[in-house]
Amino acid sequence: MRTAAAIAALSALLAVFPFLATAPWVMTIALFTLMYAALASAWNLVGGYAGYPSLGHAAFFGLGAYTEALWFNHHGIGAGLTPFAVLPLVGLAVAAAGLPVAWIAMRTRADVFAIVTITLLFVAQTLAYNLRGITHGAQGVAMPVPDFAPATFERPFYYAMLALLVLALLLSHAVLRSRLGLALLAIRADEDKARGVGVPVGTAKLGAFALSVGITGMAGGVWAYYLSFIYPQFAVDPLVTVAMVLMVFLGGRGTLWGPVLGAFIVAPAQQYLAYQYGASQLYLLGYAALLVLVMLVLPRGVLPTLGDRYRSRQRRARTLRADVGTGVSADTGGDIAADVAGEQP
Amino acid sequence: MSAPLLEVRGLARRFGGVAALDDCSLTVRRSTVTGLIGPNGSGKTTLFNVVTGYLRADAGQILLEGRRVARPDPARLYRRGLCRTFQQPRVFADLSVLENLLIASGRRRAALAGPRVRADDRDRAEALLAEFSLAGLADDPAEELSYGQRKLLEFAALLMSSPSLVLLDEPTAGVNPTMVRTMERHIRARHAAGTAFLVVEHDMNLVMRLCDPVVVMAGGRVIAQGPPGDVQADPLVLDAYLGG
Repeated sequence: MRTAAAIAALSALLAVFPFLATAPWVMTIALFTLMYAALASAWNLVGGYAGYPSLGHAAFFGLGAYTEALWFNHHGIGAGLTPFAVLPLVGLAVAAAGLPVAWIAMRTRADVFAIVTITLLFVAQTLAYNLRGITHGAQGVAMPVPDFAPATFERPFYYAMLALLVLALLLSHAVLRSRLGLALLAIRADEDKARGVGVPVGTAKLGAFALSVGITGMAGGVWAYYLSFIYPQFAVDPLVTVAMVLMVFLGGRGTLWGPVLGAFIVAPAQQYLAYQYGASQLYLLGYAALLVLVMLVLPRGVLPTLGDRYRSRQRRARTLRADVGTGVSADTGGDIAADVAGEQP
Repeated sequence: MSAPLLEVRGLARRFGGVAALDDCSLTVRRSTVTGLIGPNGSGKTTLFNVVTGYLRADAGQILLEGRRVARPDPARLYRRGLCRTFQQPRVFADLSVLENLLIASGRRRAALAGPRVRADDRDRAEALLAEFSLAGLADDPAEELSYGQRKLLEFAALLMSSPSLVLLDEPTAGVNPTMVRTMERHIRARHAAGTAFLVVEHDMNLVMRLCDPVVVMAGGRVIAQGPPGDVQADPLVLDAYLGG
């Protein structure tokens, strides 16, 4: 019940946010935060549940961006809200493109998988630079600037990103409630054993990967339309991957809300610092420091760590109650029980 | 007479200069508990790995119920009724005890899109947990189980698929005497219900009272097989164990 209420409150807040904060720079930060929350949730499907740490997701972000931009250049009908309407098709196209990639990359595991996927990212970036006939290389691709009112220009993009976040969370939730979710957790725990008990591991991994990169590509599409001008180095940017991974690790891998929490912490901070200190890349030092800190202090992320602490506290309280109840070590038990009671908010 | 449950012919597998399996042939008949013994390094676990699709054979054939298995794959073989345990019990530590059984129900690809827990799977899983006296632990994470309990859980999970042949790799190694008897009781119960077993085991007392026939491997090939009493008296076997 409390979870449902919290989710409802958060949804309501995010839905009315554009009417509370109207300053364009705040809206920009908010929409990028939502984008990263959607991206991190998407990454979590592969990197969190299945335990395959992809470093190549930015390639699919870029693929989505280019698909959206080129589509509207070739058909010349990019105006108003229509570019949002084709996003599902962009997502399907990117997911389809991800299947053969995953089929090859997911034959490797762990570190090797990370290396294969980061290689993919640089291959994609090189292609974006060099397939000039399609991408115009380093000149970039322009999309028509939408004719939204300047004062509320960010609003449609904000809601598009919010819709993507909701989609990513609903999909993650559905995956967790399905047999696919169970299969992914088994694969993460011990893939060879999973094969030995009949789990169709290939299909499960491909399915998770396709869902994940589909959402990633759609986020890339919204991003392209928002900027209305895309360059290879920003469309296929290793830092996008790094941010996704960092947010998931901070919030908690393999949890539904961890990636969202991670994105809500990291993305506004990064955007705000970039806004304050211009285009300097100082925030990268912050990324590095945060990653080291997470690895040292919260290797499993915020949410799992809090969950563990809560459970162990409950367990302690339960054993203490049992001890006190039976009169065994009632003195010390009572003292600690008082401590525990005092600690609780 | 119908084809044997499992037949391997002329299996070979080399690791560099070592021939782990060398022209290895053996047969497991229906409704038997076949023992597989041999000194360390004689190729028993390699044979398990090849038969269950974890390792490719360099040569030879595997036939399951008379049909050749062209490209052995653990998941497909599992759904065809052939499964195995591991020397070190392997359970999904993050999943609950119940989920460890649910995931092993051997459902096909299409079921991935279905619900996480199907009612019929849950019923089967709960019956098995009761049979193995693990019902009280159903919702605990598998990582909290003792070593012996993990062995039981790994075995119980395989039964979700109603296998025709279970390969047990040292089912009682490293567990206490009570657990050895528990494991033996479960194997006997399942054997009585029609499941066949191929058991690698170093506890000779257990092998001699549980298994018939007994197959002896040495140097990657089968050197003797037959009823436990005959095998025990075979000079070749004594030679392999004592090193002549």
